[in-house]
Amino acid sequence: MLIKLAWRNIWRHRVRSGVLFAAIAIGVWAGVFTMAFYYGMSMQRLKTAIEKEISDLQVHHADFKKDYDLQFHIPEGDTLLDFLASQQGVKAVAGRTVSRAMISAARGSAGIMANGVFPEAEDRVTGLSKKLDTGAYFSTSRRNEILISTKTAHKLKLKQGSKAVLTLITQDGHLTSGAFRVAGLFKTTNGPYDELNVFVRQPDLNRLTGMGKGVNEIAVLLESHDDPDSVLAAVRQALPDLQVEAWSEIAPELNLLYEMTDFSSYIFIAIILLGLSFGIVNTMLMSVLERTRELGMIMALGMNKVRVFFMILLETLFLVFSGVPFGLLLAFITVEYTGRFGIDLSMFSDAISGFGYDAYIYPALQGYHYLAVIIMVATAAVLSSLFPARKALMLNPAESIRG
Amino acid sequence: METVISTKNLFRTYNPDTIPVHAVNDVSITFGRGEFTAIVGPSGSGKTTLLNLIGGLDTPTSGSVEVNGTDVSHLKANKLIDFRLHNIGFVFQSYNLIPVLTAFENTGFIMLLQKASKEEREKRVMDLLEQVGLGDKAGSRPRELSGGQQQRVAVARALASRPQFVLADEPTANLDSVAASNLLDIMEKLNREEHVTFLFSTHDQRVIDRAYRVVTLEDGKVIRDENKRNG
Ligand SMILES: Nc1ncnc2c1ncn2[C@@H]1O[C@H](COP(=O)(O)OP(=O)(O)O)[C@@H](O)[C@H]1O
Ligand SMILES: [Mg+2]
Repeated sequence: MLIKLAWRNIWRHRVRSGVLFAAIAIGVWAGVFTMAFYYGMSMQRLKTAIEKEISDLQVHHADFKKDYDLQFHIPEGDTLLDFLASQQGVKAVAGRTVSRAMISAARGSAGIMANGVFPEAEDRVTGLSKKLDTGAYFSTSRRNEILISTKTAHKLKLKQGSKAVLTLITQDGHLTSGAFRVAGLFKTTNGPYDELNVFVRQPDLNRLTGMGKGVNEIAVLLESHDDPDSVLAAVRQALPDLQVEAWSEIAPELNLLYEMTDFSSYIFIAIILLGLSFGIVNTMLMSVLERTRELGMIMALGMNKVRVFFMILLETLFLVFSGVPFGLLLAFITVEYTGRFGIDLSMFSDAISGFGYDAYIYPALQGYHYLAVIIMVATAAVLSSLFPARKALMLNPAESIRG
Repeated sequence: METVISTKNLFRTYNPDTIPVHAVNDVSITFGRGEFTAIVGPSGSGKTTLLNLIGGLDTPTSGSVEVNGTDVSHLKANKLIDFRLHNIGFVFQSYNLIPVLTAFENTGFIMLLQKASKEEREKRVMDLLEQVGLGDKAGSRPRELSGGQQQRVAVARALASRPQFVLADEPTANLDSVAASNLLDIMEKLNREEHVTFLFSTHDQRVIDRAYRVVTLEDGKVIRDENKRNG
């Protein structure tokens, strides 16, 4: 009965309720869509980082990260690679030699990270061949081929076929250098990554470093990125002397992004709801004040304060939640649509690639996001009903009826 | 006759600190079960204030109101609401009905608050609507009813909860004379046949003529109390 009464009461002013209804629907839509945009963008960044750059897990010599000194490498690389590849949940494994180096050409030089890779394994783990913009992916049997990014090529005025020299410090501390021929140029959505990395074959690099057959970094790509912990634990137990890290430890800034994404979206939605709350409070307050006589009358008849409070609370909830499904539905449709076809941000692509983001954003949301929004809206509705309900409860029936 | 209501040295003073208005000024009076009584007097004589005090809608400045032996004037706020719900039927001058509910729902509203069963409620509500001559209007909203019909629904609602008595503050004030006499007919019939106790205020002479007992107020004091019918 209270439910029926509350429901009918909110439709007494169709226009007024309709305006609030629309405001809530639009507010929810905007909030949810923004959340989806941001979540999609972050998850894309995370996926790109894991699948194209850092992988789920990395294995190093326990001291390697101290100063990237080449003497701290993993000598028995091959057997370790086989062991890792055989682990449950592992999709692909690649060993590499990474070394700080200087790349020099006739027109300049730059500090970079030289990655000595095994082309096939590397391609399975980070999809390196697909990053190529021009040229070929280690296709010839020639020695000393190098892949550099289009950015680096531009900076050093290099092009496919040009010669460049890599200079680095060997594992026993001598300066050495070798000449490489640019076999291809790569380009990713992550500008800093492009500027930092060059790729050569691992044996070519190891001839310079003097590391023999060793590698100093093993990247492990997992079947699923959701739960690296079980694989991590197994690998850690099997390799107690090595440093085994998950992506969240390798790139703490990505982990922060991952953890902050939802949190900042919720704050954004809370701000929208705060704005909407003023509208809700205002509408309910008007509705209470214009019903002074009626509310006084039903209180005189014997409707107690708890019931009056619940009636106002229900009215607020009905008012708010008649707009919410539309907002959510609208958001769901837009998220699904843009999530499939993407939003083209290529006109800003230089700016966003500086942060490692793709030019196409695919908004995405999980079920729990929708649930969280519903809970937040309900909370806002309950809080917004308190003030109008208090006003109603403070009415003196005798005075109200006199008018 | 069994006493239902009794007031003792009842005062209700507005603005006690500035210019005091004794809206009810030392009223000691009793009303018995089955009465059909009019409280009369010019506008401002204290009719509404007296009825509000008896109905537990207002608190006396001093003195007491007893209903069926319960001192209403000293009940706690939420006890008082409950007391009203179960003991007193109200008919107000206007704005009696909830606009979004039908005549049927309005009549059953108090029974719902009393948590009466659905069958009992439906039976009693239809019964009462028949008695006030609105059996065919059960599904109408208040705005689809005339003023007189609305007041009859209010009377039906007041009775639905089986109260000790019904307080009606100027129930005919907004009605034309035909509707007013029609409403009085119904109230009188309910009093005669169902022994419902009615206490109503009015300043309409035609309504006063229908009462069995007439209590006249002036400046908050009872100046006359006449029984027009012996029995
Ligand atoms: N809230 C109030 N504040 C001050 N005076 C009031 C208030 N309510 C009623 N009064 C005064 O009390 C007196 C009795 O009023 P009321 O009971 O409404 O009389 P009636 O119903 O007979 O017209 C009047 O003088 C009126 O002005
Ligand atoms: Mg009055």
